[in-house]
Amino acid sequence: MLKLALQILGIIVLLLAATIVTLKLKNQNADGPSVLFPGGALVSGELHQGAEPDWSFTDDIMTIELQTYEPTSSRRIFIMESGGKVYVPSGYMRSFLGKLWKDWAFDVDAGSKLAVARINGVRYERELVRVRDPAEIAGVAKKLAQKYAGGETPDAVAQIEKSVADGDTWIFEMAPRSGGS
Amino acid sequence: MKTATYLKLCGGLTVAWVLALMFVAPFAEFIEQLMLLFLSTNAR
Repeated sequence: MLKLALQILGIIVLLLAATIVTLKLKNQNADGPSVLFPGGALVSGELHQGAEPDWSFTDDIMTIELQTYEPTSSRRIFIMESGGKVYVPSGYMRSFLGKLWKDWAFDVDAGSKLAVARINGVRYERELVRVRDPAEIAGVAKKLAQKYAGGETPDAVAQIEKSVADGDTWIFEMAPRSGGS
Repeated sequence: MKTATYLKLCGGLTVAWVLALMFVAPFAEFIEQLMLLFLSTNAR
């Protein structure tokens, strides 16, 4: 009986490993991410030129594709507009799985700030800047709660603000690239 | 189950699983959704 249990466990572990390796390899050079696994460079889509858009249109968009560099990779991510600026979050930053899953956010925080966001098929060249100002976080937390946490209740907003203050969630502004490049 | 049979089963299942992930997009998406659910539930 024990042998059979171990054999079944072995098959499950084998299939899990095969899944991770297969999907990671399959997606790593793709034009954009899959549901969970990072993709490669965002290649297709018109490149936005000119004035800053009115980011409020992102209120109707649940996820965008975000590419970062060094290493070049892309993932699906939430997006929040607040005060005319646009932000992306990265959660689970203090958990073991989060540290494996959200390596891009650590890379950005370490200085690899350039990014490309693809929203509705249009690519925007941006620079990611980690936000720590509580006043700015408050507006972002409200929008995050409104869009992704079932509503802008005081509890939900406070919970998000605490998560950011504790370092469990990091918020990045997708700012225009400095130097206009 | 004898070891030789077990190894053949593992090999066959892995090949079939990998091919399905590579070429059956809805299957790959379903598996990814399950993994995302697991991560978002447990990565705390």
